[in-house]
Amino acid sequence: MRRAILTTLLAGLFATQAYAADSIKIAITGPFSGGSAPMGSSMRDGAKIAIAEINAAGGIKVGAKMLKFEVLERDDEAKNERGALIAQELASMNDLSGVIGTVNTGVCLAGDKHLQEKGITKIITPAAGSASMTQWSKAKVKDLSIFRLAAHDGIQAAMVVSEAINRKYTKVAMLYDSTNYGVSGRDDMAEQIKKQGNILQVVTTDKFNIGDKDMTAQLLRAKNGGAQAVLIWGIGPELAAVANGMAKIGLKVPLIGGWTLSMSNFIDNSAKNGNGTLMPQTFIEEPITPKAKNFISAYHKAYNVKRIPSPVSAAQGYDAVFIFAAAVKQAQSIDTKKIKLALEDLKEPVQGVITTWKKPFSTWDPANEESHEAFRRDQVVMGMVQDGHVVFGNDADRKRLISNATSVKGKK
Amino acid sequence: MLKRLILIRGIEGLMVLLLAAIPLLVNNSFVLGLLTLLAIYGILLIGLDITVGYLGLVNLAQAAFLGLGAYAAGLTVTIFGFGMLSALAVSTVIGLVMGTLIAFPSLRLDGPQFALATLSFSALSATVLNEWESLTLGAQGLQLHRPLLFGISLDAKGFYWLCLFFLGIVWIAMHNLLSSQWGRAFEALRDSPIATDAMGIGTYRHKVTAFALGSGLGGLAGGLYAFNFEYLQPHVFIYELMVILLLGVVLGGRKSLWGSFVGAVLIVLLPNLLSNRILFQFFSSTGFLFTLGAGGMALYQKKNRLFQAVAPMIAMGLLVVGSFTVQNTEDWRKAIFALMLFSVVVGLPEGLMGFTSRFLSRIFSIEAEPFAPLSGLEQVLVRKPVDGSPLLQIQELKCYFGGIKAVDGVSLTVASGTIHGLIGPNGSGKSTLVNLVSGLYVPTDGTILFHGKPLVQGSLFAVARQGICRTFQNLQLFSELTALDNVMVSMKGFYSTPLPLVLLGLAKRAEKRAEADSLALLEMVGLSGEARTAAKDLPYGAQRFLEIARAVARRPTLIILDEPAAGLAQPDVVTLLGIIRRIHQQGITVIMIEHHMEVVSGLCDIVTVLDGGKVIAEGVPDEIRRNPLVIEAYLGKGSEPPAATAECRLSPMPVPA
Amino acid sequence: MNQAVIQLMVSGALMGLVYALVAYGFQLTYATSKSINFGQGELVMLSAFFSLTLTNLGLPYYLMIPGGLLFGVVAGLFVERAGVRLALEQKSEGWILMTIILGLFGVSAAENIWGRDDRPFPTPIPTEPMQFFDISITPLEISVAIGVVMIMVIIELFKRKTLLGKAFEAVSADRDAAELMGISATRTIMLSYGLSGLVAALAGILVSPITTVGPTMASALVLKAFSVAVVAGLESGFGVVIVGLFLGSLESLTSFYVGSGWREAPGLVLLILALAVRPTGIFGKAVIRKV
Repeated sequence: MRRAILTTLLAGLFATQAYAADSIKIAITGPFSGGSAPMGSSMRDGAKIAIAEINAAGGIKVGAKMLKFEVLERDDEAKNERGALIAQELASMNDLSGVIGTVNTGVCLAGDKHLQEKGITKIITPAAGSASMTQWSKAKVKDLSIFRLAAHDGIQAAMVVSEAINRKYTKVAMLYDSTNYGVSGRDDMAEQIKKQGNILQVVTTDKFNIGDKDMTAQLLRAKNGGAQAVLIWGIGPELAAVANGMAKIGLKVPLIGGWTLSMSNFIDNSAKNGNGTLMPQTFIEEPITPKAKNFISAYHKAYNVKRIPSPVSAAQGYDAVFIFAAAVKQAQSIDTKKIKLALEDLKEPVQGVITTWKKPFSTWDPANEESHEAFRRDQVVMGMVQDGHVVFGNDADRKRLISNATSVKGKK
Repeated sequence: MLKRLILIRGIEGLMVLLLAAIPLLVNNSFVLGLLTLLAIYGILLIGLDITVGYLGLVNLAQAAFLGLGAYAAGLTVTIFGFGMLSALAVSTVIGLVMGTLIAFPSLRLDGPQFALATLSFSALSATVLNEWESLTLGAQGLQLHRPLLFGISLDAKGFYWLCLFFLGIVWIAMHNLLSSQWGRAFEALRDSPIATDAMGIGTYRHKVTAFALGSGLGGLAGGLYAFNFEYLQPHVFIYELMVILLLGVVLGGRKSLWGSFVGAVLIVLLPNLLSNRILFQFFSSTGFLFTLGAGGMALYQKKNRLFQAVAPMIAMGLLVVGSFTVQNTEDWRKAIFALMLFSVVVGLPEGLMGFTSRFLSRIFSIEAEPFAPLSGLEQVLVRKPVDGSPLLQIQELKCYFGGIKAVDGVSLTVASGTIHGLIGPNGSGKSTLVNLVSGLYVPTDGTILFHGKPLVQGSLFAVARQGICRTFQNLQLFSELTALDNVMVSMKGFYSTPLPLVLLGLAKRAEKRAEADSLALLEMVGLSGEARTAAKDLPYGAQRFLEIARAVARRPTLIILDEPAAGLAQPDVVTLLGIIRRIHQQGITVIMIEHHMEVVSGLCDIVTVLDGGKVIAEGVPDEIRRNPLVIEAYLGKGSEPPAATAECRLSPMPVPA
Repeated sequence: MNQAVIQLMVSGALMGLVYALVAYGFQLTYATSKSINFGQGELVMLSAFFSLTLTNLGLPYYLMIPGGLLFGVVAGLFVERAGVRLALEQKSEGWILMTIILGLFGVSAAENIWGRDDRPFPTPIPTEPMQFFDISITPLEISVAIGVVMIMVIIELFKRKTLLGKAFEAVSADRDAAELMGISATRTIMLSYGLSGLVAALAGILVSPITTVGPTMASALVLKAFSVAVVAGLESGFGVVIVGLFLGSLESLTSFYVGSGWREAPGLVLLILALAVRPTGIFGKAVIRKV
């Protein structure tokens, strides 16, 4: 038995070093099983479409050679411990060019330090919790190899709160799930309410647990308090239970919350009760641009689905790969540190499915996490659930995105 | 003896050296991370094995203790700025204290009830950690930095060595504990809680101690866990982790430090196995061939049931097919684990380590450690002075179960130094009477005096401690323990070493003396040749004798034998008579329930006859046999119990001289 | 405010009835074999997915139900054969692990066959809330309550009135004596696992329209059901309903008055206390220790 263990260990070691040097090795990590799997696997599948496209075109020219992408997949099961171990594993590989992924903020907090220690470039997507980037600014890290391509909760919470204010609401209820994501969303929303002039009065702040099906208690409190909207931050199918519970007790007010409200498990399971729900979106599964059209149909075909489980995750995964590829091309190297430098100063705009990225990142500034955040407020739009699909919440957003994609405008 | 010691200790030492050397040989942070986790889980599983393996209880709280320990360490460091060792001490103490607290309400539970009580505790502690945001920061998680150890900041390598050091310490301490009286008592508790109390060993403190120690180790592991990951979230320590831990113990092999270690290795390495397709294919194919070979062999030798041989083959076969055909193995991770676990649990029920050690012991036949030279019986059972004065006085004792008057006003006196027979037809109240005296039942009314003073009622343990020991009509041996251990665990007077010293290994001399005395008792009942045989593997007669030797080991003033001859073959009955006479010679007073009249006539000084819960006669055996009331009670007047059996029991059998 | 309390108790009690139904599945097998299926939740989930597939194939709702139930029975029998029988023959508690393992396999299979996402479960029963004295309740919820009570009554009648059912009772009372009377304990245990699978399938079909179907749909449910079964005493069918209703309402009231995060805490404390005071459960029979 002991010998078997040793062999496993040793074989594992050899295996990690046995890959050919003439490829760009990247790792995709995220939960591919369990509750957050729709996000994890959509992100992975979106990224793999991008990789397939690049590889089909012969790869990326680095020096004299055309290099293809080679993917390692690691399922972190949404567990911090697995996340930390995977990060250690990735950190110990000498020829890894970069990492894309992670859905759960807790996994970022547990694992990313190992990557940062070794200076391995990572693009976080779609984990949106603020802490995954603020931990670095708090620690005053000088040089950071972690980037993020996701509309972080700060942006989203600001949009959610201002949407409620724009709709002339004064009383809202705040609901969040008991995960890290929900709790940090609660804090972000509370902060934004204060920031935007305390116009909204919060009649109740209440949480629900993963797996809860009966939300009557929380919603009754909202109803008794006279809430005109329910601001919600949660990660899973419990969101649908909230929408259905609202219909049941006759609380006919809109749900406004984080982007997870666009996931199929909310839309399908709340059915008509979900209509009118609003959420910030970075990507809407509507073929408004040729690039988006190609991407959506490629995804549907490759994975034999009629709808992407989490379009936002898939699109972000896709774009993250293209941004990463552009950095490889610019760095003319598969060395992760050089790629990081290139990412901080991308010269060429990158045609993504979400938008055309121009200088998404800049050199890390501990005083401003936005230097490593790709998304700005104007790249995010308000989406609305309507009859089983997410559509643009207001038409102006739609027009802006189309123009963004056609004219290479980039961000301000 | 020396060879054995060198071999076993040598392998353990080598293992530690090897583990400690790996970071020096390979510079790889992933390997280091895995090894650190391995050491931490090793400690955790050794703790879990105390309850799951030794106590035989399904404990679902270990993940909670890991969490409580982790938070205790994390909070003392972040809030009070504790150093490494003091923080670890706090987490261990938290584990011990919480373990003791939860042990109390769970004491009377076993099986699914115990599982649920511990599960509830886990859920509760996760809720508290999550909701007490002002202290723990709740779901946002607690970030901390590894504190200094004696002013030195440990890097990953140093921390790994620290964890390994703790694993070593825990290993040695647990080895000392489990090979002492405590370990035997834990196992005794698992096999028969009733006998554990009736032998004066005490279920209560052993169960609490076992659980508390296991939880303390959980807390220690938690502290190390916190310093390893430096980030904690409450939802980590929940049911799912618990199931994984439980599977680790079972797969590795219960009741074994090595088993826990192997379990930890499996838990840590299995998820990584799938990352490498070729490795996975190799392992599944090897596993499949192994099940084919082992299962085929077992079938051929007719050792296993068909299911036990074939089911693992099917499971591993599926795995092989999957390893070559499935597109994305990560997607099927849970199913893959399930198939592997299924094969091991069905095919190797004693766990990997149990199987390996059996296999190894067949190859390297290590001679067993020789016994201590046995003591003289006269020294072991110092002859007690007897004076014929009343030893046990029962007055107007009553015991009703609902409307049934099992014992209805019995008064009798047992004189010191006698063999007192207790007979009566089925349902006459003999067993109930004995259960009342020995403390299993609480009387409805009446008094029992022992040495002229009231006897504690309703506690087997307290009664045993006062010097009354008993055997059982339906054997209550500690079936998994060896014959020697069955006697040793009941030995009175050797185990006064305080627990901390036992952990340090300072109870070995007392152990040797207890062993010598126990061997003398085994010799007395003719079982010294079977000292190493597990009680469950002894022939029926030998089991009965072993129960007597076990009861005598407490050196009681009064011993109660509940149908000692029931089911014995004739030669064994003769041996039994000899044993009882021998005990009696040493001044132990005997109460004996018996149906065999030959045994009663051959031994008893006085016989009390019960019927319908009342005393109907008392006298010397010959008198009793002629007493018309007794004959009527046994033979009845038509509607009474079947005459044939009663007659059979009454008919004297030839008693060889 | 009073209205709120009643509303809370009604919706809590409804969840409680579902706990009771799953708990009843535990009891059925415990009675005959002193073992329970730790993968009962997965049985609920798999049956629900299977029924969903039948519906998607175009089977009308009322024809789908027997199909789903049949699947549950077959799955229950499989659990008994593959996971429980060997352990029972060896008189070990290996069934705990084996049923957990089978459940793990079930989850993985479901994830790969039906996907990891939660899905809605169509039902012809209307989901529009109705108002009774200002209390909202949907016809769907009422149908769940009726279904739960009905199946339990049917099985209890079966146990009391039919010959097969009496064999069932005999084995639960005294396995050895029953075997001496020529009742095959093995068959009876099979029957109990089949019935338990049936109950699980029905639970899946009934609650899915409310809770949605997904690989993890029953993991929270099953822990609660386990508590209900043990606290009620693993022998009392009547007890699970009472304890289920009580626990469901208690949870609902706690989350309203104390805070939703603490929803489960009072139930858990009560549970530990109840067990400490009465190890065989509130409605279980006290055991006289015999030696």
